[in-house]
Order: sequence, then structure tokens, then C-alpha cells
Amino acid sequence: MTARTIDFTIDALGWKPWITPVDYDAATPDQIKALSGLPSKLRTLPYSLVLAHDPEALAERVPLFNTIMSAPGGLPIAERELATLVESVANGCVYCASVHGRRFADLTGEGQVIQNIYDEGFDTPLDSRRRAIVDFAVKLSATPPNAGPEDIAALSEAGLDELEILDLIQSVAMFAWANRLMLTLGEPVPVAVAD
Amino acid sequence: MTASIESDIIDLVAGLDPESLLALLRRQRPDALRHTEGSYHALLHPADPGGVTAAERAAIARRVAELNRDVALTGHYAAKAADDAEPGRLSVILSHVDLLTREPKAASPTDLDALRAAGLTDRDIVTVSQLVAFINHQVRLLAGLRLLGAAP
Repeated sequence: MTARTIDFTIDALGWKPWITPVDYDAATPDQIKALSGLPSKLRTLPYSLVLAHDPEALAERVPLFNTIMSAPGGLPIAERELATLVESVANGCVYCASVHGRRFADLTGEGQVIQNIYDEGFDTPLDSRRRAIVDFAVKLSATPPNAGPEDIAALSEAGLDELEILDLIQSVAMFAWANRLMLTLGEPVPVAVAD
Repeated sequence: MTASIESDIIDLVAGLDPESLLALLRRQRPDALRHTEGSYHALLHPADPGGVTAAERAAIARRVAELNRDVALTGHYAAKAADDAEPGRLSVILSHVDLLTREPKAASPTDLDALRAAGLTDRDIVTVSQLVAFINHQVRLLAGLRLLGAAP
């Protein structure tokens, strides 16, 4: 049993791996190449160096994550962050929530929205667009997923076009992946060393 | 512009014609399409498989699809499944697959020790974790696309 005693927060947290990370200075060319898709300050984080044990998988995952979370057009970046924050809370990923809750707060200046989700749950009052995004993210992230036609209808009625809905689907799908890695290869720790 | 449009695994499992409106919508995000497909090959058919066999990879993928009740995706991986995985080791791996899929927040370092005791290296554990997480990604991408494709 691990004591996951850290509460949900938008403050920076660290992450302690349960697997010895690859030593960056002793990494193979394939591992260096896979890590090179990350911003330089992220390449030597324990999480990145744990994933570098399988460079072939990491070399695809890094650009996939980057395009899903930051490709221009479509769903506004802050709403991708909101969806992944909500999924991270639903899955219990305190570390992921801290990163993406903080990004939402930085982009919108509305950190209180995240704090309300932490304090009151997903039923906290939201405008209709955020309501539809949050409801869809919670349902699509469930195992098995339980989103239905009514959720797509709610997104459309709230003004999301098809590309925005696709971006939302891809963001939630990406964090079904990210949350599981962060939750099962290590744990959050209360030191401000990570982005 | 490319002259021809090819189906990827997601199109195939979702039963999407690559020239359908939904398939064309996906192609407005070409990098996502390319690296979703690249991740599939890196995790199911890697150039260097390390210590996780093709039979184990197919069994893991099938289990994740089953737990998520995705019939089409389960069928896709069932067709790849072989029965040459070592049963004792596979059963330890599949217990971990269940944990990561259903309740990842309950994982602890002792769960990784069980995998090590079954002969998995640190690299193999990362590979298994990536594969389980990736199939959970595929499930949600497919579920979302099916809903979007059915919307009026």
C-alpha cells in the first residue's frame, strides 16, 4: 500500500520513480533521440528517463502528446487542459492534476475553477461549454467508457465544432495513457522540482 | 496533398472508410494520426521487442480491450493472440494489466516487485505499462470517434 497523502493542488509537485531511471549520460543513441522531442528541461526528469527504457515507444509517444496538447486551431488549449485536469482527478492522478490544473490557471487566470473542482467535485457550477466538456471527459475516461450520444449533443449545443470535439476526444484518450503511467511507475512527492 | 488516403488501424477497427467525413476530419490532425499509428507499431510490432514477446503483447492488448468492453478492438487483438506465452508469467502480467486498467491509483511499488519476480526487467515493466496505457488510449479514441460518427 502506498500512502498517497498529497491532496490535489495546482502547486508544483515532484515525482519519485519506482524504477531506476536511465542515466542520461550513459543513454544509448536511440534513447537520446527519443528524449530529444521533449523541451530540454524535461529530458532529464525522472519520468522521462524511466520511459526512456523503451525508446521505440517513447519516440512515438512524445510527438503524439505534443500535437494533441498543443496543435494550433481547434479546441482552445485551455480547454484541452481542463479536460485532462478533470480526467486526472477522476483517475486519482495528483501529479498530472497539479501540472494541468496549473496550466489551465496560467492560461485563463481562473485557478478558482480548478480549486472548485477539487473542493466540490465535478458538479461544481460551470458555464454550459465547460459543463459539457467536463461531463464528456469524466464519462469517456471511465473504464469502460460510458459517454453517449447525449454528451456529443451537449458539446455541439455548447458551440463545439467537429474538430474541437475531435481534439477533446484525443486529449481524453491521451490522458487515459498519461495518467496510467504516472500512477503506476512512481508517485508524487512534495518538492517543487518538476514542471 | 497526398494522392491517396490509406486506412490506419483506428480506421480499420472503427470500420471507417478512409474517405468518409469522419476519416477526413481525423486527417486534419495528421501528426496525431501518424504517431497514433506509430505507437501501435512500436508497442505491438517493435523492431527490438526486448523481453516482452509478441504473444504476450497481443494477450495484454486483448485483455485491456476486453476490460473496456470494446468488442471490435478485442477481436482485432484476439486474432493476433498466440498460445505460446508462458502461462505462469502471463498470469502475473495480466493481473498487472487489470490493475492498470481498472484502478491505476491503487498501484504500489510491490506490484512492480511481482513483475520482477516473474522475470521482467525494468525495461520490460516500462514496455508493459506503455502498452496497457496505450490500449486504454485506443479504446477512448475509438469510443469517441464512434459517437462522433453517429452524431446527426
